[in-house]
Amino acid sequence: MKDINKDNNLPTKSNSLPTKPCPLTPTNSKTIEVIEKIEGEAVVEYSFDGDRVDDVKIKFFQSRHIEKILIGKSVNDALVINPRVCGICNHAHLIATVRAIEDCYDSIEVPKNAKILREITLSLELLQNHFKWFYLTIEPLLGFDVQILKATKPSQLISKMIAMLAGQYPHNSYAIPGGVVGALTPLEIVGFKSSLNSLIKIFQESLIDVDLQNFVSCDRIDVMLSKSGDMPRAMQTILDKGYTELGKSNDKFIVFGEGLFKSGKSIKTRVATNIDTKYVESFDIKQSEAKLATYKGKFYEVGPLSRAMLLKTPLIKEAHRKFQDSLFSRILARVCEVPRLLLYTQELIEQIYLNRPFYIEPKILTNGEGVGVVEAARGSLIHKVSVRDGKIEDYQITTPTQWNLSFNTKENPTPVQKALIRSKKSDPLELIFKAFDVCSVCTVK
Amino acid sequence: MDRRDALMKMFSAKGVKVNTNRGEAYYSKLKETMQKRLNELRNAPAASKVDINKVLEAEGLTRRDFMKWASAACAAMMLPASFTPLMAEAAELMNRVPVIWIELQDCAGNSEAILRSDAPTIDELILETISLEFNETLMAAAGHQAEEHLDEAMKTFAGKYLCVVEGSIPLHMDGQYGTIGAKGETFEEHLLRVAGSSAAVVAVGTCATFGGVPAAAPNPTGAVGVQDIVKGKPIINIPACPANPANITGTILHFVLTGQVPELDHLNRPKFAFGYRIHDNCERRAHFDAGEFVEAWGDEGAENNWCLYKMGCKGPMTFNNCSVVRYNSGTNWPIGAGHGCIGCSEPQFWDKYAQERPMADTHFKAPTGGVEKTVDEFGLGLLTVAGIGIGIHAAISAAAGKKEEV
Repeated sequence: MKDINKDNNLPTKSNSLPTKPCPLTPTNSKTIEVIEKIEGEAVVEYSFDGDRVDDVKIKFFQSRHIEKILIGKSVNDALVINPRVCGICNHAHLIATVRAIEDCYDSIEVPKNAKILREITLSLELLQNHFKWFYLTIEPLLGFDVQILKATKPSQLISKMIAMLAGQYPHNSYAIPGGVVGALTPLEIVGFKSSLNSLIKIFQESLIDVDLQNFVSCDRIDVMLSKSGDMPRAMQTILDKGYTELGKSNDKFIVFGEGLFKSGKSIKTRVATNIDTKYVESFDIKQSEAKLATYKGKFYEVGPLSRAMLLKTPLIKEAHRKFQDSLFSRILARVCEVPRLLLYTQELIEQIYLNRPFYIEPKILTNGEGVGVVEAARGSLIHKVSVRDGKIEDYQITTPTQWNLSFNTKENPTPVQKALIRSKKSDPLELIFKAFDVCSVCTVK
Repeated sequence: MDRRDALMKMFSAKGVKVNTNRGEAYYSKLKETMQKRLNELRNAPAASKVDINKVLEAEGLTRRDFMKWASAACAAMMLPASFTPLMAEAAELMNRVPVIWIELQDCAGNSEAILRSDAPTIDELILETISLEFNETLMAAAGHQAEEHLDEAMKTFAGKYLCVVEGSIPLHMDGQYGTIGAKGETFEEHLLRVAGSSAAVVAVGTCATFGGVPAAAPNPTGAVGVQDIVKGKPIINIPACPANPANITGTILHFVLTGQVPELDHLNRPKFAFGYRIHDNCERRAHFDAGEFVEAWGDEGAENNWCLYKMGCKGPMTFNNCSVVRYNSGTNWPIGAGHGCIGCSEPQFWDKYAQERPMADTHFKAPTGGVEKTVDEFGLGLLTVAGIGIGIHAAISAAAGKKEEV
């Protein structure tokens, strides 16, 4: 691990004299704000230059060192331990682990049924997170009353749907190298489809009242705003409050996962698809337990907006044309993943054939190196494992929050730093920050 | 005394046996205590404004549904059916007992399972009516505001609130692996402060009870459970990863009913939930007894839901009620999906049991033979394995005889 701060050797603002002294307001005054909503705890420190944000530091103060715990254990133990990295996106960790282990084989056959089931349960976890984030985090920050039931109802239903296929939620271990442990019955498929229909109804009744198929091809923001539902209401509020200039970041996006999404990177709107996880590096940050992640030494944003930029989904393309990578585009992109994921799940469940295998036994793994990538709710999650004599020799987890919410120098800022620096004291800083959605549990793995 | 007798003795020892019938005199005295406690609570001011009857109404549940739940809750807590009205009353008075929920070195999985992700059965609805005075995951307030709120709640309800703890406590490097709030309080200090003025401490999930995954070898952060830190307070352990909401509701209800902690085993686990092994009530038990096992993933046995013992299921040595209560409001549980039990409610499951490592590969002696042996012999072979732990249970419980009294 390199220390990027040391490499750049740049003085931090707090150690140097204020560059533009302002006689009226105290400069360089540091306000410390603790953000601990959602899970775990992160401290966000703002340094102000006059009434503008001069620099931002995001610090995490706890760690469990699960990567160290994995070393020396049997490779399959990772399937039990890794979901426990995070109770919020535990399933993404399970799927990333199983993919990393499977990648260690020269050749391994995973039956289509198992691949589909994994995609379904993974998509459901994304949906669950999106609902909770929108209703519990974003809406209150826009000044609406918290509608707890609108968050818990869908997330409870989704947990049940994952439990139907995988046993329980959170923390199941139903995916194993070579497939999944059990087979489904026709009854379970019928029950699942019925729950999926209820979920689609909940989406239409709460977030936005549209036909799913039509909506995913919608490319006009005014059409979206004209519908009824909490999503158009929230987006209209952002427009009315004039927040569309806020939260603009580096405009550099990266996506590693596949499935419903496309991997690649997008700078402004220029897309390149030939990326490789071998260029991903992570660095220690001074004063924080978290690490920051880079691709070829550069910072990129991961998450729903990145995925939409790579897929060039019509509505987000339009939002980006009008408002660039502001918080408007970021929030819209995340909520607009919901109908896509619902349709995707609907398509996938039809492709399960009960008379075909759910598991094909692979040979015993002794040595190898593998990478497992999934698109978790907040962005790309990368697991890297190396196995020697059936034991884990090294394990590295790179989480979405490491890409979006780590901090570096203000001259070479990370996505969230860039989004916040130069914002006014009176701007909704918390909203700008949380539009990225912190998942500190994963980050302090 | 041969081994069989020794085992029988061990299993009928006072500390291990779950006594489901304690006689009329015991129950009438218990009823009196509960009635007195409930009357006191009824006269106390409500800590939260949420009324269970209104919540049930909003969810479209009738009084009849509620009473059905109350009778089921009695059964789950091993009380006779005549306690049903008291149980219903206790549920209505849940909002009189303030709860402060703190998260330490955790993954928020228990908060997820209990407070946001599970389906709204009556259990969970009742849990929603408890007066949750402080919970970092659910609270809208953050930072200094949250800390002030915590201090205020602790002062207002001093000596009365239940302190629910999620997550382990890292002790290495003077606790610097986990600090909380703007003041940089370590998790240990935080826990001691909040637990200090509580009525009782409920450790929820395997991290808070036994250290959990953070304590897995080599335990880089020196993680320990609540019972290793908090002394001189009643501690109730509700392990499992994540802990089952039904067991938490049961424990809190018991506290509402009696003002005391439920009967605990030597690991401080409520006996009503942890008195049996997964294996005792497993839906696949008949296949175990018939010698029908899954021998490889994807085989005939896996397709027909046979016993997962040979695939490394730890049900026979894991004390929990998953096989009865299941997860996500009874939707399913790991064995239902075809994955063996990983023993997540047992101490050190992360090192001892972990993945589908069959028993033969662990340092436990696996029962020999199998299909050709009789059920009795097979069962006995198994019990010697579980017996290692159970023997210790018996010894410690006898020493800590006080815990046996309700």
